[in-house]
Amino acid sequence: MVLFVRRARPRLDVLRTARPDGRTDEPGVRARREVVQVLGQRKLFQKAVPGVMHATIFWGFLILLPTIAEAMLAVIDPAWTLPYLGHAAWFAFLQDAFAALVAIAVGVAFWIRKVQRPDRFRGSHMREADLILLTILGIVTSLLLWNASRIALGSADHPSAAPVANALSGLFSGGRGTEVAERILVWTHLLLVLGFLTYLPRSKHLHILTAAPNVYLAKNAPSGYLTPLRIDLDAADADVRFGAAVATDLTRKQVLDLYSCTECGRCQEVCPAWATGKPLSPKLLIMGLRDQVVAETSAIVAATPSGTVELQPLVPNAVTDEVVWDCVTCGACVRECPVDIEHVDTIVDLRRNLVMAESRFPPEAGAMLRGVETAEDPWGQPASARTDWARGLDDVHVLEPGDPPPEVLFWVGCAGAFDERAQATTRSIARLLIAAGVEVAILGPRERCTGDPARRMGHEYLFQILAEQNVETLNGAGVTKIVASCAHCFNTLANEYPDYGGDYEVVHHTELLSTLIREGRLAPGAGADGTVTYHDACYLGRHNGRFDAPREVLHGAGAATVEMPRNRERSFCCGAGGARMWMEEGGDARINETRFAEAAATGADTVAVACPYCFVMLDDAAKASGSSVRVADVATLLAASVLPEPAT
Amino acid sequence: MTTAWVYAELAGGVLDGSAAELLTTARTLADEVAAIALGPGATAAAADLGAAGAATVYASDDEVFASHSGGPQAFVLGGLIEEHRPSIVLFPGSYEGRDVAGRVQARTGSTLMANAIAVPAIDRARTEIFGGMTVVDVQLQGPEPHLVLVRPRSVTAEPTGGTATIVAVPAEIPEADLGARLVERHEEAATGPKLEEARVIVSGGRGLGGPDAFAMLDALASAIGGAAVGASRAAVDAGWVPYSYQIGQTGKTVKPDVYIAAGISGALQHVVGMKGAKRIVAINKDPEAPILKMADLGVVGDVFEVIPALTEEIRRRSGS
Repeated sequence: MVLFVRRARPRLDVLRTARPDGRTDEPGVRARREVVQVLGQRKLFQKAVPGVMHATIFWGFLILLPTIAEAMLAVIDPAWTLPYLGHAAWFAFLQDAFAALVAIAVGVAFWIRKVQRPDRFRGSHMREADLILLTILGIVTSLLLWNASRIALGSADHPSAAPVANALSGLFSGGRGTEVAERILVWTHLLLVLGFLTYLPRSKHLHILTAAPNVYLAKNAPSGYLTPLRIDLDAADADVRFGAAVATDLTRKQVLDLYSCTECGRCQEVCPAWATGKPLSPKLLIMGLRDQVVAETSAIVAATPSGTVELQPLVPNAVTDEVVWDCVTCGACVRECPVDIEHVDTIVDLRRNLVMAESRFPPEAGAMLRGVETAEDPWGQPASARTDWARGLDDVHVLEPGDPPPEVLFWVGCAGAFDERAQATTRSIARLLIAAGVEVAILGPRERCTGDPARRMGHEYLFQILAEQNVETLNGAGVTKIVASCAHCFNTLANEYPDYGGDYEVVHHTELLSTLIREGRLAPGAGADGTVTYHDACYLGRHNGRFDAPREVLHGAGAATVEMPRNRERSFCCGAGGARMWMEEGGDARINETRFAEAAATGADTVAVACPYCFVMLDDAAKASGSSVRVADVATLLAASVLPEPAT
Repeated sequence: MTTAWVYAELAGGVLDGSAAELLTTARTLADEVAAIALGPGATAAAADLGAAGAATVYASDDEVFASHSGGPQAFVLGGLIEEHRPSIVLFPGSYEGRDVAGRVQARTGSTLMANAIAVPAIDRARTEIFGGMTVVDVQLQGPEPHLVLVRPRSVTAEPTGGTATIVAVPAEIPEADLGARLVERHEEAATGPKLEEARVIVSGGRGLGGPDAFAMLDALASAIGGAAVGASRAAVDAGWVPYSYQIGQTGKTVKPDVYIAAGISGALQHVVGMKGAKRIVAINKDPEAPILKMADLGVVGDVFEVIPALTEEIRRRSGS
């Protein structure tokens, strides 16, 4: 016990000194998540066999907790036991059943690791896992044998309630030898339990203590939301933090994330960067950061707030620059992680430091930042060209200062305004809204980049400026409801602008269109030829839970649909998120081509998208592969069905 | 008396322009200014360094500096610093400058400031943060000498026309301090002028169908004379030409007098890198290609017919 406290102490000290992040609001939501995800093991069941295996061991662990106290009493005096539980037949049964089930589950775990050998374990500490599993096996086996010896000695209250131990009791004669064996077994059991406890704080198995608080402290907001880093240049505060440079810059949740990782590799398995041969694996990222925090523990605890103690920079010591820049922020890792580690937020924090404090980022992305800074769009186009797409659409109303507030504002987005492929989507949406009798009001030249690409790139300051300017424009125009066509704009407007004083009802164009179909205001005609497969945009789907609206629109358009193997929550990114749209890609394969190949393999004739980034990425992949499969936005497919003449 | 040193970089035996810039800065900081030049051509460069304001030049012409990466330079410079204790050492923010400065810092344990755009005082360096949006001054603390990497072309060199005393330094480097040996030097073959400087650019995209077709563009470029060859991201992504050819959002931004786009559809990613061209000529078989809408001269046709015919005609008229 003393050893455990001593060994756990440094971990606690680091957590105590870490930056607070105020993740305690809405306790009801947090408690519910605790029940579903920890007690109910929900995310673990995303994988059937490992899920059942883990849940068995976890529930077994809970049920066997009183057994530790029982064994402690029994080592002092064989006749001592727990007041009520020690004599209850139902508890004897549960204890017996779960001890046996845990033993079987350990066998399954070994089968997964030694026979099945999934790739997700690459880079994990396999020997450590073996040791942990063997210890668990030792704990439950010694428990069963101890109970068996007690049955043989006749000192068990309900021999028949514990069938496994009862069967094993045949191993013991019941004589003097059994009495000695009983003593040895109970001591073995207890020493294994205590040894395990002592080993925990320095092992990856620490998650049995940290997972529950980590899940409690997880983000309540949609996963697409990033916590602001307020930058006030006039404040001249010595303690201004520009993201995470060294270990002491990490927040409490970020540190707890590191202690909670058990290296299961579910994140690695779904990571688009890892899947296409890049060095980034969310698991290895967390392990790298953890190893550095553990190595620097005494320096972290000693560090004063002004940070005079020498700590190594996290990049490139714990993780390389390349790893930090490989991330598409798709959130597949976060979504998959059973203990709610928030890899993406930590990566963005590392980027914030690299970009804002060190000006260190892939050089080709510089053009995007310059464009956003100087022209307020990533491509550096003139603001006056923002309405070019609307030529010939007389019913599109460009809001002038002083105009009455629009019922709903159409947020076109930079891609929707400037990219010729995305312009087709923008025109389709506008024509559909006009056909349904919805007034199409846009900000035109007064619209600016939401700041999303700058923010995902780590340039929080630039994002903050744009957010404040856009909120001022939107509030000044009296906007209350926004329809956005870009999934990234949608996420930023809906989830992140409230932090800057912008509270709007934000819908995606697929949501508005599906509503209009349902209300009968859009009447689809003939269905499109061939089959369509829908590609979920990360910032619409996984990050914001909008899965059904785009599918409803396709259904409304009369399209025959087919799903890709990876869809909805588990969709695979197009490769453009996290400002990757503006960076060159390394690795063995391209993310967009990998995803397009998956779409084409469904046999669909058309890949439907709902975000201009996905559109450009998948269309480029289609062209590169020379495939005849076409890529089109859901809105364009609907327009082809609803509107008399083909969309242009 | 304060002393400021400058690490003078030699590239292939020739003095790099950064040395004169750094010496100009050094003169504003200290009474005594010295330069360190290491590698073949060092002694010969001393005259230029003197003219740029160095009073002393520590020089060695030894081959060992050219055949290794940073290690010997750091060893010798570390020794000189130990001996003479300058207050500050300025390095150019080049590959070699960063390499040597980092190694020297590890040897001396002094403060290293990277990416400075100016050095206003002996204990102060100026740098940009927020991707260049804000300029800040950084206080240099810790034991001297402060090592500062200054971004090239941050100041204009102002020569003094003086002369320097040459102090020959020995180049006896222990085996352990040599570091990595340079085995081979390879420069990516670039034909014709640089893309950013060319007055005429011939550029190819996915419509060329493969790497071989770029020979056709090379022929056209040489027929025009002084023209450079570029490419769209699609052609680079396909592996037909190296990334150094890429024009566009994540490649180079060019502003030639004439830009000939062959088999390029004109995606926004590409257009933002070449829209500054004075005249745009586009050849594409798809009449709907966006590039044709922005071109001054658009040719709807097969690049494999148009380009050779154009090359032939230019050759005929120029009589070559």
